[in-house]
Amino acid sequence: MAEYKVLGKSVTRLDALEKVTGKARFCSDMSLPGMLYAKILRSPYAHARILSINTSKAERLPGVRVVLTGKDVLEKRYGLFVFDQYILAKDVVRYAGEGVAALAADSLDIAEKAIELIEVKYEELPAIFDPEEAFKQNPAAVVHPDLLSYQLGLFLTPQPVAERPNVAHHYKIRHGDVEQGFKEADLVLEGRFSLARIHHIEAEPHTWIAQRQPDGGITVWVGQQGIHLLKQYYTGIFGIPPSKIKVVAPSNVGGSFGGKVGLTADPIVISLALKTDRPVKYSFTREEMFKCGGTRIPAVIYIKDGVRRDGTLVAREMRLLFNIGAYSSLGILGVRNSNFGTMGSYRTPNLKVDSYGIYTNTSSALAFRGFGSNEVTWAIESHMDMLAEKLGIDPAQIRMKNFLKEGEPNPQGEIVHSIGAEECLKEVTKTVEWGKTPVKAEGLWRKGRGLAVANKYSMAPTAAVALVRILEDGSIELRHSADEVGQGAKTVLSQIAAEEFGLSIDRVRIVAADTDATPYFPASSSSRTTFQLGKTIYLACQDAKKQLFELAAPRLGVLPEDLETADGEVYIKSSPARSIRVKELFIVERPTSPQAFGAFLEERGEIVGRGVWNQPFVYENLKTGEIDPEAARKGLRAASFYSYAAQVTELAVNVETGEVKIEKVATAGDMGFPVNPKMCQQQMEGALGMGIGIALWEEMIMDEGRVLNPNLRDYLVTTFQDMPANQNVTLLMAPVPHKDNPYGAKGIAEVLVPPIAPSIANAIYDAVGVRITDLPITREKILKALKEKKR
Amino acid sequence: MKQRLELKLNGEMREVFVEPWRTLAEVLRDELGLLGTKVSCGTGDCGACNVLLEGKVVSSCLVLAPQAQGREILTIEGLATPEGLHPLQEAFIEHFAVQCGYCIPGMIITAKACLDENPDATEDEVRLAMSGNLCRCTGYVKVTEAIMAAKEKMKKSVSGTGYGKGR
Repeated sequence: MAEYKVLGKSVTRLDALEKVTGKARFCSDMSLPGMLYAKILRSPYAHARILSINTSKAERLPGVRVVLTGKDVLEKRYGLFVFDQYILAKDVVRYAGEGVAALAADSLDIAEKAIELIEVKYEELPAIFDPEEAFKQNPAAVVHPDLLSYQLGLFLTPQPVAERPNVAHHYKIRHGDVEQGFKEADLVLEGRFSLARIHHIEAEPHTWIAQRQPDGGITVWVGQQGIHLLKQYYTGIFGIPPSKIKVVAPSNVGGSFGGKVGLTADPIVISLALKTDRPVKYSFTREEMFKCGGTRIPAVIYIKDGVRRDGTLVAREMRLLFNIGAYSSLGILGVRNSNFGTMGSYRTPNLKVDSYGIYTNTSSALAFRGFGSNEVTWAIESHMDMLAEKLGIDPAQIRMKNFLKEGEPNPQGEIVHSIGAEECLKEVTKTVEWGKTPVKAEGLWRKGRGLAVANKYSMAPTAAVALVRILEDGSIELRHSADEVGQGAKTVLSQIAAEEFGLSIDRVRIVAADTDATPYFPASSSSRTTFQLGKTIYLACQDAKKQLFELAAPRLGVLPEDLETADGEVYIKSSPARSIRVKELFIVERPTSPQAFGAFLEERGEIVGRGVWNQPFVYENLKTGEIDPEAARKGLRAASFYSYAAQVTELAVNVETGEVKIEKVATAGDMGFPVNPKMCQQQMEGALGMGIGIALWEEMIMDEGRVLNPNLRDYLVTTFQDMPANQNVTLLMAPVPHKDNPYGAKGIAEVLVPPIAPSIANAIYDAVGVRITDLPITREKILKALKEKKR
Repeated sequence: MKQRLELKLNGEMREVFVEPWRTLAEVLRDELGLLGTKVSCGTGDCGACNVLLEGKVVSSCLVLAPQAQGREILTIEGLATPEGLHPLQEAFIEHFAVQCGYCIPGMIITAKACLDENPDATEDEVRLAMSGNLCRCTGYVKVTEAIMAAKEKMKKSVSGTGYGKGR
């Protein structure tokens, strides 16, 4: 492995100082002169016809500047994949929390008062909430009766099903012949698994400030991810040309976990701003976060596995029923991308998957850390243990037996590259001495141990552009559109530039993400930033260095290829003492002081290195989910890359109360190359905190489509006290390098979440012999299962 | 209807005129420009807006500003001195306890109160004291590590726990 000075080192986070001193600024901290404050009136009903809306009292309240209802906003529907949503409801509301009217006023107090003055009369309609009920051919309610006439997006081609009116998208994998496979199997096992509706709980509520510009354009400051994708969405919805839209992300976003990717209230805030010359600010309340700020896609998963006596998997059939809510949003993408999780780890000669995105009268799902992999991994990794038990094989062994290997085709036909599943599992099992020392205890607290493995695709198509400017003092300026949502993009990407220029990291400057100033990148989603932008920053650095060496070469009387740079100097590789300082290349036009720096370069004006990478990939055949074998042989993939993780959890279950205590955890992650090891650990620990909550208690309690616990008192998240003691958390690196990144690095943020819940479920089974298949694994469910087991 | 308030804010007397129904968080952020205090839930459930009122942790989103009349308030902005960062701030940086950072001011403020009250706090005691501060990024592992490290530093320092101006 190459010797690095900055990469692979736990460099202090660049954003830590401002964050511990309270100086870090987020979108929610921003205000602009003359700013108005927005509020949105939301439907209390899950499905209802709007009979009338009277806004006159609100309009008369002094200080109210704009009031909008469905008839005041754009006529057409919008969507990310299926165009199924109006900016504000027209005639019908389809979930409790849907925007019905919006206004902007001089102060938040006035806005809050005014919104209560709007009178809406509704007539309730039959509603449907359960995805299996909604999936039926003759469901009790149809969320979008005119679905088949809706415009569809051009990307990923949603496939509605005519005979199932609530299905927005049906995605298929047909690999081999599962029926034949089940015949050849010695054991066939079937199961049903489900996952509750959960929320991201980003610390900073979503915030927008939108301002109409004199040229008819709009500027939007967002506390969200993906400024360039947002710009494209806004262009598509409002028809404002991209040259007149500017989207800016203040340098910090207070958490996302997928919940700040895509659109939520954006079109409403922009619609308000387009009616006034004053900037309009809107933030979700915490309650709104729960009601309309996106959820993980609740799902029901049927799985049927056929295995040989020795544990070899011969056939797997899955039916994935995703409750995408009333508007398809990113749910369509989840329906498709979940399939990668079924294909990324195990050799499955016969695989059949039917994945459905189903409308219900509930709020829309968004992406969620581990998007699609969480759902299938929950079923698959629980089921692998169930198979192992029936066959009398060790849970680690049955997995080892079936892992895909480097160079072989996966069920999709993609040639496997950089697969760390086995390495991760080996690391965790070695660390806990798996199979040697069973964890058992008698009495009230029974102990158990469980493991699970996961993969997480990073999706294609995907591209990134980065610019690197050499500054007059020899520092480097980075222009890229990574989102800093806490994952550490700023630090990791700056480490790369520092390494390539032989500089200390404090000599790398970052231009904050702004579509006017920083180039294209879809979003720091799908764990792509280090892999993708890391590569383009590397490329941009090479381009900038090439230009620098071309300028310096004549001054040193050598060829450009004889040169290298470090510490702000360009030197001759064969005799490093002969060098020129970068700053000496810049012309000092007006020497205002003896210390004056130059301002420009005689040739070129300035050095801007460009890096671009449009990942080669191939779309799958929509009938089979497979990719063209010829394309696969040429090395084209359907996914950008796969990351891997494995976890062993040791826990204790109280047989009288059902309480679960997580006692000890070992997690291994395959991130290709840990650019900043401590920051990889941060991801592992954060995933653990989140994953324990998801496994044991997180759930939005719903009644007739209404969220009963839209607050952080009744919706339980992991606290300091729920975590195992620090000394009992072991974090392991199992990097398997990827050839498409110059350092071998891949993303790691997401893949760490999916194995946690099944490892906990498997450990609970080990401890008390009950198998819970419905997340979260609450005390009540454990007690009920224990009672049934006694009978 | 605005009411005159005097606050001993981060060691400095501040005068502000606000409606009596304003929360302390609103006054700190909107009237006094101290944006380091974050509001995340607005219902006292998450700890992000925690400040010290007379040395005790309060959720500033639940305290009405007039309740702070004449009293001493410490926010994240008042923790460092001209001589440098508070050991908790240093430890949070050194131990990689910071990710998105939105909950961090509340975390550090609560941790200060915890260690001021119990300079020998064990990991379990720290976890108990901190359990009202929610974080979705960190899993609390490195935050706990940082607090335990700061505790050692604070015990070794001559001035004990007396960091911050006059506190």
